[in-house]
Amino acid sequence: MDASMVLKAVLALASLGLVASGVLAVASKRFHVEVDPRVEQIASVLPGSNCGACGNPSCFVTAEGIASGSLPVTACVAGGQEVADAIAGLLGVDRCEVDTVVVVRACGGGIAAARAYDYHGVPSCAAAARLAGGPLVCQWGCFGFGDCVKACPFGALSLDERGLPVVDLARCTGCGACVQTCPRSSSGLLSLVPERAPVSVRCSAHSKPKERKAACSACCIACKKCERACPSDAIHVVEMLAVVDYEKCTGCNACVEACPQQCIDIYGRNVARTTGADGAGWRAVAAGSAVQEAEVAEA
Amino acid sequence: MSLAGQMALLFVGAALINNILLTRFIGLCPFFGVSSSMSTSIGMSLAVVFVMTLASGATWMAWKFLLAPLGVGEFLYIPAFILIIAALVQFVEMYLRKASPVLYRAMGIYLPLITTNCAVLATATESAKPGFFKMNIDLGASLGLGEALVYTLGVSIGFGFALLTFAALRERLEAAPVPDALKGSPIAFITAGLLSFAYVGLAGWFGL
Ligand code: SF4
Ligand code: SF4
Repeated sequence: MDASMVLKAVLALASLGLVASGVLAVASKRFHVEVDPRVEQIASVLPGSNCGACGNPSCFVTAEGIASGSLPVTACVAGGQEVADAIAGLLGVDRCEVDTVVVVRACGGGIAAARAYDYHGVPSCAAAARLAGGPLVCQWGCFGFGDCVKACPFGALSLDERGLPVVDLARCTGCGACVQTCPRSSSGLLSLVPERAPVSVRCSAHSKPKERKAACSACCIACKKCERACPSDAIHVVEMLAVVDYEKCTGCNACVEACPQQCIDIYGRNVARTTGADGAGWRAVAAGSAVQEAEVAEA
Repeated sequence: MSLAGQMALLFVGAALINNILLTRFIGLCPFFGVSSSMSTSIGMSLAVVFVMTLASGATWMAWKFLLAPLGVGEFLYIPAFILIIAALVQFVEMYLRKASPVLYRAMGIYLPLITTNCAVLATATESAKPGFFKMNIDLGASLGLGEALVYTLGVSIGFGFALLTFAALRERLEAAPVPDALKGSPIAFITAGLLSFAYVGLAGWFGL
């Protein structure tokens, strides 16, 4: 191949490119559509990968929705908090928290909970639940065979030394696989909650507080101390069980301090809450929380 | 054979007998990617018909008036054609946005997706570059502009037809009692295989 060939090739591509860019330049003027300038700005902040996770066909459509107010500034799932903050800045609205959902466990019994019989069958919660409702006296409690741990595709769950599943919030994506697996989910043992909600009641029993207490030392006894302690009116005893209103909870910790059963727990990515740090006795490990906090922050 | 007859043959051959998706297996990513619902398939098919036909026309002219006279087509055709197709898609997108916002919304994300669609490049090459057209019709060494357009129209309509058939099947599959292990992609692949059998069965019709 001689030099003239190279020259011709360059010429050919260059002229094609020139024609194309010329046409496009003219077209972009002639076919210019007035759009809300904010749409373009928002679109430039969005990831632009058109992944569709938010349920819209393209990032641009999402941008339009956000600009027109039909979608929240947190609409971009993939972008997360950073993108939401940037958009909130563009639109001049208050910073918005992205609602990440994570799973919580509403049981603090574990190995301390009373058994009605000894179970020696297949080590699976589902199997245990089939045998006369399971070995636990409390018919709401966690069996502790870890079906949820096996179900979690992200390795976010593990059983602690008390036989209770704990959630590694850094890994939990809120997919809900564990919730679907747990035979007790229908009564709320595992449930998905917004991550910004920082407290959780580690009990889901609805029997009479007295019966309940006989079956498990870590249960909620419906004493309403948390209700009285809460400054934001966010926790109430409903049907003899303390329930947190996640819309109102600010995570001030007042209920956690007030609960004589120590069955309310704080959680959240920035709160030290790893193995053993919940249910009865989490205060004992709170002393070591500075170390854990550092670990959690890194994860 | 009369010219009209030849064109009809060209069209049927491109659309059905040499269906680009189901007998030649080109452009399978949109075939699986957007076929899970009928409405997205319609958008995609429209966009493909539109862009493919325009692209073939444009590449045909580029070959004829630029690449062939300069003698650089043999090794330059892929970058040149991709450049043309990409620019064209951009142009169509701008034009549609101005002229028909409704259509623009319907095609939405599928328009830019087509830029990188191998089916478009394949068809554009076949209709523009001598020696690439493989159907059993005697049209001389290379296609004329009219033939190139009829051929592309056939290919793209065949693409749309196969995509819509498949989408319709998949929508019904959603409700069908598919065994757990086969749910989702596996059954889609099996279905596509069976559908492909049906199309391959047309091979040899009209001597094509
Ligand atoms: S939370 Fe449910 S699935 Fe997990 S160990 Fe307890 S009973 Fe089993
Ligand atoms: S299964 Fe899903 S929701 Fe449950 S802990 Fe694992 S990631 Fe979180």
